[in-house]
Amino acid sequence: MRFALLTAIALACTCANAQFGSLLDLGKKALDKKQQLETANKEFTTDEEIALGEGIASAFLGAAPLHHDQNLQRYVNRVGRWVAMHGERPDLPWTFGVIDTETINAFAFPGGTVIVSSGLLKRLNSESELAGALAHEVAHVVKRHQIQAIQSQASTDFWAGLGQDVVSDRVARSGGGAVTHMVNQKLVDMGANLVKSGFILRPLDRSLEYEADRMAIVIAARSGYDPYGLVAVLQMLAQAHGDGDGASVFATHPAPGDRIAELERLGPSVFDRYGAQPQVEGRFKQIVGAAK
Amino acid sequence: MGLRSAFAIILVALASAAGAQEQAFTNRSTELKDRGASDARTLATLPENTSVKVLARGGGWTRVDASGQAGWINVFHLRFPAAVESSGSSGGALGGLTSFLGGGRNTSQKANIATTGIRGLSPEDIKNASPDPAALAKAQSYRADKPAAERFAREAKLAAVSIDYVGDSAKGGRR
Repeated sequence: MRFALLTAIALACTCANAQFGSLLDLGKKALDKKQQLETANKEFTTDEEIALGEGIASAFLGAAPLHHDQNLQRYVNRVGRWVAMHGERPDLPWTFGVIDTETINAFAFPGGTVIVSSGLLKRLNSESELAGALAHEVAHVVKRHQIQAIQSQASTDFWAGLGQDVVSDRVARSGGGAVTHMVNQKLVDMGANLVKSGFILRPLDRSLEYEADRMAIVIAARSGYDPYGLVAVLQMLAQAHGDGDGASVFATHPAPGDRIAELERLGPSVFDRYGAQPQVEGRFKQIVGAAK
Repeated sequence: MGLRSAFAIILVALASAAGAQEQAFTNRSTELKDRGASDARTLATLPENTSVKVLARGGGWTRVDASGQAGWINVFHLRFPAAVESSGSSGGALGGLTSFLGGGRNTSQKANIATTGIRGLSPEDIKNASPDPAALAKAQSYRADKPAAERFAREAKLAAVSIDYVGDSAKGGRR
């Protein structure tokens, strides 16, 4: 009976894609929860990442209202989804939101929620610039920059608490299925706490920002846009440099001039080759201009 | 001092109080072109550290005024000076204007914000907010699915193309 149980669990673990490492060692006497914790992969799955990201997004949207213009929201979602389709995680439930604030910023949350401010949008000149900015956020999610920062910050206590439930939940649903309601709620709460503590406002390592910039140029070009869009956005930021409002792009990213210099190092292979692709100004100016 | 000079001084003061900086410098010897293209006619060669006034940006080329001569410079050949302090010391209407264009605010400008109605977002706003799942649901209701995104791209004649990543992200990035 116990052998059958262990076999079933072993099979389940295999199906869960070797996330459980030494759990597959059937020589162990029983599934000791503490041991399970120590050996389990301390990384979130995509479903867990999405739940956590939604918790962060809910909390963030409690601070800044969504812009009321529905055309604007749908437009940014279309540009964003099109751009995200050309990154390596095209099937995430990508959601793009415009918040009504003059502060210039854009945020990417785990699982594919991207928020930009109307303050940023009103300072852009074309859809290719918007695409460049969104591609930068998409790149962060594609490379899991934020979720990894959260994972490495999470302490042993965390994994002993919430983590225990997450691991049990994974074993339970290793045949498939969504995150259980209980774990989902815990991840959502964790997301809210990350916003409350200000963790999500902490800058990422500069190297990750430069990487997101490099990837963004390519993702925007793959989407058919003029790859210089993001460079133009950075130029706008270099000229509009604010006084360091802690929630603005100036507080959370390297200096725009440094980012432009880094992008020049990419060389002509993308810029020159795809520089004639469209900027798409018409519908951008019409829709963003109409939004008050 | 004549009325005209006084007016000119006020205009200059307003322009410099505005958060948007128009001044840039060439970061290398570069060519001022008559169009935003590398095969355009060269109007002048500008030495490194030439001060120019930025008139407009346009992808890879920036339109500038170089000592009265307008032309285009490669976007990578410009650097921008460190931020002009958008300070509360400007006071009054100018302080409000600075805040609006500068994209940020500090506590000394709160009174200006109340009068000008600038909607800013501070770290405190973010940390003190209560979660709003209804707002998230609303945001999600605006999602575009893949067919909608594809139609949208076609409408602007955006053609997808397969390109490898360049530089340090080059590993495993092909599409």
